[in-house]
Amino acid sequence: MALLSAQDEQVLTQHLAAIDTPVSVLLFTQTIGGSESGVVARQVLDEVARLNDKITVVEKSFVLDAEERERYGVQRAPGIVILRDGADTRIRFYGAPTGYEFVPLVEAILLAGTGKLDLAPETMDRLNAVDTPIHLQVFSTPT
Amino acid sequence: MAFASPHITADAIEATEFMDLTRHYRVTGVPKTIVNDRIEILGALPEPDFVQAALDTPDEDAPPA
Repeated sequence: MALLSAQDEQVLTQHLAAIDTPVSVLLFTQTIGGSESGVVARQVLDEVARLNDKITVVEKSFVLDAEERERYGVQRAPGIVILRDGADTRIRFYGAPTGYEFVPLVEAILLAGTGKLDLAPETMDRLNAVDTPIHLQVFSTPT
Repeated sequence: MAFASPHITADAIEATEFMDLTRHYRVTGVPKTIVNDRIEILGALPEPDFVQAALDTPDEDAPPA
């Protein structure tokens, strides 16, 4: 059964139409001993990717694709990495991106595909001045 | 923020799937943001407030306040 309704798909398709740069979404899953939500994550990503041919989903093994997992610093499965034309956006999603995680996922894909940030000039000034590593972990729930 | 700065990484974590992390960071309400394992930001703050809270982290070597 589809997770997105026909109406959801229509709205999303319009939003995603702004994408002008290829977006690769890497999904790291763990079949044995991993969370079953990897299957749900794959379905969500596939349904979004189907709406725009510039979005590609590539499933990776959390265990077997260790080199890539380490390159992108993926800590958990299911873990999602978003690339803009092959370049890391440094945005990760852990767990199935449903509920409140879904809109941020779509926004992250849109950001990667358009490069258009919607941040205040003052915010950009502060971000441009950052010169030490900052790791943000944002917790949310499905409902 | 992560997209804008090469020094920033951002993880969106589904709290109910990773209970070990939820317990470790004492997540009792969402959204909750942890900055560099040390700073907690509760709730969805306006952009200027969130940026200030996230970027005004004390130096790693500084003693805890």
